[in-house]
Amino acid sequence: MGGSGSRLSKELLVEYQDLTFLTKQEILLAHRWFCELLPQEHRSVEESLQARVSLEQILSLPELKRLIALHRAAVKIAMQSAWPSACNTANPFKERICRVFSTSPTRDSLSFEDFLDLLSVFSDTATPDIKSHYAFRIFDFDDDGTLNREDLSQLVNCLTGEGEDTRLSASEMKQLIDNILEESDIDRDGTINLSEFQHVISRSPDFASSFKIVL
Amino acid sequence: MSAYRNNAYEEDPAYPDYYGSRNHTRGYLKTQDYPDSPGPPNNSDDPSTRSNPYSADSRTSPDYPGSLAEPDYPRSRRNPYYPGTRSNPYSTGSGSPDNPKSLAEPEYPGSWSNPYRPGSSREPDSSESRRNPDLAGSRGSGNYTGSRTNPAYLDSLGEPDYAGAQGSSNYAGPGANSNHPDSRRNPEHAGSRISPYIDAPGAPDYPDAENQSSYPDFLGEPDYPGAQDYRSSTEFWGEPDYPGAENAHDYSSSENPEMTREMLSRASSVQPSFHREGDRPFGILGRKDGDYPESIEMKSRETANPYSPSVPGAPGNGYVDPAYVGDNGLSQAYGDPPLSGHDWHKSPQGQKLIASLIPMTFRDRIKTIRNQPRTMEEKRNLRKMVDKEKSKQPRRILEFNGCAQCLNSISLAYRRSKNSLSELFNSISLWQKTFKVIGGKFGTSVLSYFNFLRWLLKFNIFLFIVTFSFIIIPQLTMAKKNHLQFTGLEFLTGAGYFSDTVMYYGFYTNTENQHGSSGTSYNMQLAYIFTVGACLVVCFFSLLFSMARYFRNNFINPHIYSRGIAKLIFCWDFTVTLKSAVKLKQKNLSTEIRENLSEIRQENVKLTLNQQLIRFSAHLAAWVVSTGVTIACCVAVYYLAKKNTEFLANHSNPGEVLLLPFVVSCINLVMPRFYSMFRLVERYEMPRHEVYSLLIRNILLKLSIVGILCYYWINIVALDGKECWETLIGQEIYRLLLMDFVFSLTDSLLGEFLRRIIGLRLITSLGRQEFDIARNVLELIYSQTLVWIGIFFCPLLPFIQMMTLFIMFYVKNISLMMNFQPLSKAWRASQMMTVFIFLLFFPSFTGALCTLAITIWRLTPSADCGPFRGLPFFIESIYRWIDTLSQSRRYLWVVWIYQNLVSSVHFFFILTLIVLIITYLYWQITEGRKIMIRLLHEQIINEGKDKMFLIEKLIKLQDMEKRASPTLFTPDTRDVEQSGPLRVREHDAARDLRFRRSVQEDNPKA
Repeated sequence: MGGSGSRLSKELLVEYQDLTFLTKQEILLAHRWFCELLPQEHRSVEESLQARVSLEQILSLPELKRLIALHRAAVKIAMQSAWPSACNTANPFKERICRVFSTSPTRDSLSFEDFLDLLSVFSDTATPDIKSHYAFRIFDFDDDGTLNREDLSQLVNCLTGEGEDTRLSASEMKQLIDNILEESDIDRDGTINLSEFQHVISRSPDFASSFKIVL
Repeated sequence: MSAYRNNAYEEDPAYPDYYGSRNHTRGYLKTQDYPDSPGPPNNSDDPSTRSNPYSADSRTSPDYPGSLAEPDYPRSRRNPYYPGTRSNPYSTGSGSPDNPKSLAEPEYPGSWSNPYRPGSSREPDSSESRRNPDLAGSRGSGNYTGSRTNPAYLDSLGEPDYAGAQGSSNYAGPGANSNHPDSRRNPEHAGSRISPYIDAPGAPDYPDAENQSSYPDFLGEPDYPGAQDYRSSTEFWGEPDYPGAENAHDYSSSENPEMTREMLSRASSVQPSFHREGDRPFGILGRKDGDYPESIEMKSRETANPYSPSVPGAPGNGYVDPAYVGDNGLSQAYGDPPLSGHDWHKSPQGQKLIASLIPMTFRDRIKTIRNQPRTMEEKRNLRKMVDKEKSKQPRRILEFNGCAQCLNSISLAYRRSKNSLSELFNSISLWQKTFKVIGGKFGTSVLSYFNFLRWLLKFNIFLFIVTFSFIIIPQLTMAKKNHLQFTGLEFLTGAGYFSDTVMYYGFYTNTENQHGSSGTSYNMQLAYIFTVGACLVVCFFSLLFSMARYFRNNFINPHIYSRGIAKLIFCWDFTVTLKSAVKLKQKNLSTEIRENLSEIRQENVKLTLNQQLIRFSAHLAAWVVSTGVTIACCVAVYYLAKKNTEFLANHSNPGEVLLLPFVVSCINLVMPRFYSMFRLVERYEMPRHEVYSLLIRNILLKLSIVGILCYYWINIVALDGKECWETLIGQEIYRLLLMDFVFSLTDSLLGEFLRRIIGLRLITSLGRQEFDIARNVLELIYSQTLVWIGIFFCPLLPFIQMMTLFIMFYVKNISLMMNFQPLSKAWRASQMMTVFIFLLFFPSFTGALCTLAITIWRLTPSADCGPFRGLPFFIESIYRWIDTLSQSRRYLWVVWIYQNLVSSVHFFFILTLIVLIITYLYWQITEGRKIMIRLLHEQIINEGKDKMFLIEKLIKLQDMEKRASPTLFTPDTRDVEQSGPLRVREHDAARDLRFRRSVQEDNPKA
């Protein structure tokens, strides 16, 4: 289905299956999605593997798809609804996610393999270990390896949204962060590191089921 | 959790020591450069080395008091050379605090007494070490926490490099003893670190050489016993001495030993240079060590890698995770991936990873590679490297090549087929798409209701298949023609036409089904009782296992001090995709955070006695009312049922039988809503308490109604002497089930729809309603209880339940999409699932089991219908069967099993005893673990405090040095070359450190 016409070679597909937690169907679906972002003439397999897609493009994808869906089959609509929530415009962490998974020097665009990595981590079968690791990196806004107070307040702002009524006041934020640190900062050094984070995560079984994208 | 643990285990033993040692020796070979390095070659580098470790290491390990118990100090006092050194700091000490000695001296007394480390006093070790303060060696061995922390290290003790350390213990003695408290913590380090000192003593001034005689043996001898002790003590996990190992089990192996490391690395990252270092693609330890052989940063690097083989990457960024098996590369990956992407595997840690991958089987290797938190490119390179390495290895297996290839291809084919099979399962997995949509709109908590529904559906499909194939099909093969009239009302009443079908007990015959002349016969009696029994046993175990799984997931953490705010924050539901849903979720989250915060604030405000009394009486009143209502309902149902039978005996309107189920369903519909109104009076502070009390009241109501009905059936209907009373009970249950279904159907379609209209049009302040997970789940539990009870009287009941669940799924789904809004409270979905499954198991399933047990053992089957006709009890069929079996010699073993195991009191007595003993042991183990966890927790907190202290010190030190440095610092070309790519700030840091060293080196001379 779809008009991309290009298919990944069998070897590549097997390799991707080995290196990610995705199934064959999922990889193919991801490739199709990815190709849709590329201009028509660059949709060959080689080029699609080389190409990088900017953050804006990825974020704009659902809209793009809606346009396509207007004059294509219902298949497209199904695909559109299935577009990974990680890159959905609604996801408050979309930029962080793209940044964490990007391998480009400027960290603002994703190649197909980055995209696969992303889907792999968010897939159902990925281990909680790797999920929590990436969750930690997504929440670590300044990329310094620990969640400090600034990271936490940014995180809370992402969670509560930017609206006037939902935003927490400074004193609330302080209290909240104090509480978070009290709960999670086991060694009391004022920051949450990866192992502490994973410890917290291990106590909340909901994490693995919520940190995923259903393809 | 287990995944982490596994990882840790995979990794740790995988990189035993040789890599680590290689690594370190490399580092230390570099260290040997330092005599010619910039600092004035006073050959007294040692003091400086020593001092640095002091400032860094000793304090980092607060709980290993041994290492605190600076062996150095007592000795250095005795040391003839040291007075000089010491006098120096003393004279200048106050003036130049950068001098580590002067720093060390005033502080150490403090650390001896451990004023800021309560933890160490709790450690049994510490008392020991205090008792013999002079015997550095013994203290050192007491310190083996490093080795103890990880079982893998025990092996490393036996490793040659450690032997080497032993060999060099002459020098190492002083070196390790005085300078490297940390080295004792991790034997590998001891081994490698010691090696440079082999040369160091060659320097004429090396002071401790003379002292060696006084401690000739501590490194070699006492240490080893110590380590071995720990090895032997690995079984007593209750022992607080080797928390690390425990840690490795309990804390996903990352917390404890790595804390030290992290702490150090954090300490180091205060100086930007250390941090950046990790980012250099060639950030190999050795290189760095070459640069600043004895600076703190080296220390931190090294100690930061107490087992660099296993989790080496961590130090740079403080990312410590077994998954990071890899190393430095990690910090690169984190820092800037594009640079590191191609190079990380060339780093020692990458090499280590590759080496560990080589001996693995193909599948394990793939799995491990897949579990690396790296980019695709890196993973691919890693795989290539491993394959290359593997092909390089001697081809001993060459002759088996053909065979191996064959095996390989088979395993590949197997893997592929497995993959495609799992894909197939995925694609046929029921309602995958719908689930995604629900999850996207309402989040995981509402999804859990549907998951529960699907789980029950699968359960019933299984039950149906079993009963269908073992009871219904055989009976159908010899079914008689049904002459009863079918009107349509039968669908509701379940009586009339249906009472003469396979649906009910009464239809089944007790004849042995003869098939042709083959002589094989099918005993309907036995088939019936065994099938029902097998169904219940399977239900029992599957419930038990899923319950246990949920319990395990939810009660991992023994301390309940957490409020779950962190969970709230970190567990953003990434499945939610809808933009408006995300907005709503954000809003809800913010309200919930606010509520939580205000709760915390309120907690400090104590309620007055009066308020407490009011609250207590409100709760009491609510409970009294709810229990009273429940009892009233039960009594009403009981008398209604009794009256109803009398009434039905005189009248013959088939529709009348619907009265009882109608009333019961009405009660079930109205009462929960009535109970939830109590909330207005009760005002629970915690929403969770409210949910739980509501849950308890509802389940009490529903199941006591079922219970009273069971009592009625068993005591009235069964003893009434009516013909085919089993069928009558089956019909009642069928009607109850169906009526319940009809009610919830109308409730979903009409009630919820009306509620939406009211909420949106008439009373807009109400808004849309929220999906009440608890009530809906309780409905499911109620109907499932009926199915379990009814399966004996109406074998087709699972099929009916299957259908109703299937329809309910769609109805609820549509109603949910149309009428509801996402929940405003974050439900702890998994926690609620645990409760639901527990409720399904405990009152519901066990109640059904009891009812059936009474029926089978106590009641007399009706004389003229059903497979058990003519028997005094249902169970009699089994007794008779055993009797017949005991006549033929072939089946004597069955008889033996029956007599000695099933019906034997002694066997069950012994079994119970054994189970009790095991339970007691496990209980003790958990108690011990709790203590262990508490100790570990305290320890971690202490280490954290130490880390803070260290960082503070380091910053202070840096500030002071910065002030002093411009005058003393002379740039060194080699260093400049190497630190060329580093940033200016790193430069500064490096300069600081080197400056400090040079000052230190000056001191002894002075």
